[in-house]
Amino acid sequence: MGYKEKANPFKVLLNKFKWIGTTFHKGDNLTKLSFVIMGLSNLLRGQIIKGLTYMVLEISFIFYTLIYGINNFIGLLTLGTKQQNMVYNEESGIYEVLPGDNSMIMLLAGVTTLFVILFFIVVWVSSIKSAIHVQELKEKGKKIPNIVTDITSLFNTNIHKLLLTIPIIGLVLFTVVPLVYMILMAFTNYDVNHQPPGNLFTWIGLKNFKLMLLSNDKIAKTFWPVFGWTMVWAFFATFTCYFGGMLLAILINSKGIRGKGFWRTIFVITIAVPSFVSLLIIRVMLAEHGALNILLQELGFITKALPFFTNPTWARVTVIIVNLWVGIPHTMLITTGILTNIPADLYESAKIDGASPIKTFLKITMPYMLFITTPYLITNFIANINNFNAIYFLTEGNPATLDYFKGAGKTDLLVTWLFKLTIESKDYCYASTIGIMIFTISAALSLIVYRRTGAYKNEEGFQ
Amino acid sequence: MKNQIIGLNIKSLRKIPILGLLLMISFFFPYIEIKSEGIRIAGYRLFLETMNRLNDGGNYIVFIYAVILGIFILSVILSSIFVIVKPGKKSVILSICTYIFNFTGAILILFTITKTINGSGLLSIKFLISYLSSGYWIFLFGSLIGLILSLRAAKMNPGYIILVIMGIIWVFPIAWIIMISFRLESGSYTSYFWPKEFTFKNYLVLLTDSSKFPYLKWFGNTLFVSVFSCALTTFIVLSTAFTLSRIRFSGRKLFMNIVLILGMFPGFMSMIAVYYILKGMNLTQSLIALILVYSSGAAMGYYIAKGFFDTIPKALDEAACIDGATKWQVFTRITIPISKPIIIYTVLTSFMSPWADFIFARVIMGDDYEHYTVALGLFTMLSRENIDTWYTRFAAGAVLISIPIAILFITLQKYYVEGLSGSVKG
Repeated sequence: MGYKEKANPFKVLLNKFKWIGTTFHKGDNLTKLSFVIMGLSNLLRGQIIKGLTYMVLEISFIFYTLIYGINNFIGLLTLGTKQQNMVYNEESGIYEVLPGDNSMIMLLAGVTTLFVILFFIVVWVSSIKSAIHVQELKEKGKKIPNIVTDITSLFNTNIHKLLLTIPIIGLVLFTVVPLVYMILMAFTNYDVNHQPPGNLFTWIGLKNFKLMLLSNDKIAKTFWPVFGWTMVWAFFATFTCYFGGMLLAILINSKGIRGKGFWRTIFVITIAVPSFVSLLIIRVMLAEHGALNILLQELGFITKALPFFTNPTWARVTVIIVNLWVGIPHTMLITTGILTNIPADLYESAKIDGASPIKTFLKITMPYMLFITTPYLITNFIANINNFNAIYFLTEGNPATLDYFKGAGKTDLLVTWLFKLTIESKDYCYASTIGIMIFTISAALSLIVYRRTGAYKNEEGFQ
Repeated sequence: MKNQIIGLNIKSLRKIPILGLLLMISFFFPYIEIKSEGIRIAGYRLFLETMNRLNDGGNYIVFIYAVILGIFILSVILSSIFVIVKPGKKSVILSICTYIFNFTGAILILFTITKTINGSGLLSIKFLISYLSSGYWIFLFGSLIGLILSLRAAKMNPGYIILVIMGIIWVFPIAWIIMISFRLESGSYTSYFWPKEFTFKNYLVLLTDSSKFPYLKWFGNTLFVSVFSCALTTFIVLSTAFTLSRIRFSGRKLFMNIVLILGMFPGFMSMIAVYYILKGMNLTQSLIALILVYSSGAAMGYYIAKGFFDTIPKALDEAACIDGATKWQVFTRITIPISKPIIIYTVLTSFMSPWADFIFARVIMGDDYEHYTVALGLFTMLSRENIDTWYTRFAAGAVLISIPIAILFITLQKYYVEGLSGSVKG
């Protein structure tokens, strides 16, 4: 490998700046002029189409900035100043709506403008690169590549540009831009009382975070318990499914069980049924007047309906247990392959030494499995923090409680609360704040994983 | 008794008759004990009592109980004697059968006894499970232990018992959905598991009557969305993974880090923004919007495919390059043909997700029934005003989408596992 890869974005940026400086220094007048008039160097040195493309891009960017860009940018800073008003129209004798600024559209437009500027900077840097490149080729007396060779290079040396264009467009448009927009929202007061177009919302800095984490407000008194339950849930959901699935896999794999494929298929069928269907069915089954309660009452096991979803503690335990039903088959599938990879001689020597099956499990199987699957465990933990389906379809976060901020219930995870805040109560700024908190937790956990896994540190390890 | 019999575990074999004796004794313990009424009936008396009542013209269910109880006693005696007298494969198999019969029988009694006793009018008060006494419980757990011992004696794995019980628990909800889908009586909360009457009507109404909920249309919509988003996703995942695995370009690590960070935000945090962007593109309430949303973030799932590509020897590419192949040719002619498992994994997972997702579909489609996907549509059937009439049809709809997915899944299970274990290794 000829060069070292730089992962630190700041260093990458710094190097880019240095490179632009030296390029400006090295370039001849034509190249220096290309810093302002993009594509000039290419155009005058024979790459007509390339040069013209750069120029057209620059002109359209300037037009965009003049017509929309500046306004959008100012809008991003103020988020609107004119509130929607009711004005009495004397001619018709009724109140009319006088449209004001729409903060939400302005924020979105501002973010879009930021990305257009970012895109232009990337194009600008690439135009400089191409300008100096063509200058160097000319100085060395080499042939200047025409548009056809440029295009064919896309299938060879520059294939990454060809293959990554669509993925990156998709990512930017539907993931990055919306995400930046929502992150910015966490720093505004875009809650139910500040809904555009009727009202304006504005920047309030870190107030939402303070309110949620440090204050004595109801929302803080909701955040911490919900956060605590999210962690408890993620811990139990991850480990019960992990051990349950592993034990099941060991059981199916053990000697003397015939029809291993059949047993596996029975459990795999449950993965194939969409989880919302099976979870909703289980929910109906466990409801107060559901089949299980009625059956148990008729049989005389109980005299009063069991509060599966109405008592907070019962509900929490129920969710974790029902989640076993969903999670065990998954873990079983995953661990089956790894279990068969454990060297058989380890077990044989343990057997000769007279170790009991439990001891073999604790001393051989467990350490080996934990060693291999630590990354999986942590990613699974993160996935469980974000496990929307299991909670929403089973309990919708209920039982609701008056101690909590609107609508949040005792089994709500941070994600389901976020969903409720977005869809039901429209407190977008709080939802975004929670999203950022979830990100912080996941990021901290992921950092531990990715620093530890060999695959990330040493990608060439396989070869 | 001989000390060694080939194919049998003598230690467990010896315990079987002892256990049998214990089970005999249990018949002298009280089976039913109602303190408030002063009733206390031992097992053998229960048997005699029911026999007596039969002469007085008791009902036939009581008779069946008596017969079962009699067979219990008889079979335990017989199999114990058989094991003592003629220890061998046959006697152990008989013992296994005995205890399977006793255990399932005991469970069956547990689940039916209240209905029978209350129905027969033998008691003036309502019979409860808590009235069952020590003798019964000894018998129940004793026969379970007997089953384990007999399996051990035959050198069979007692794990079968756990597997059978777990299998029943796992299959039960699915079996229940299927039963509901054939149920004639509507309504969601029923107190019984077995439908009173079976019918195909739910399926017929679902497939033919599209006046309220156009299920077939939804099915077509979902198929359309999943086919296209699956094609787009597969293309994006493969090209991203290939580029990141094979090409070293400036900004590669940066790109990987950005994607890593993006993946840590909860996926639907930004759905409102996505909605407004789609609205800006004039695409809300259209299936194309769904395809875009499902596949646009696909690049974030490149890890598994990249891990797979990393294991393909570089020498293969280099050899091709020396022969004059371009990178594009390496990608399409060499890498893709040998990456079948990972392609199938990607296709399978991306094809399945539109059938189960309902969050994005709900945000994008609003109340436009015509453009719903199956998941969203089925969910609407369960809204408060629809659930009573539509619950059984919901079950039918769920069964209809589950069947093709289950078949697909089970046949391609191998690739799914390979992909998953690729993700485990990180």
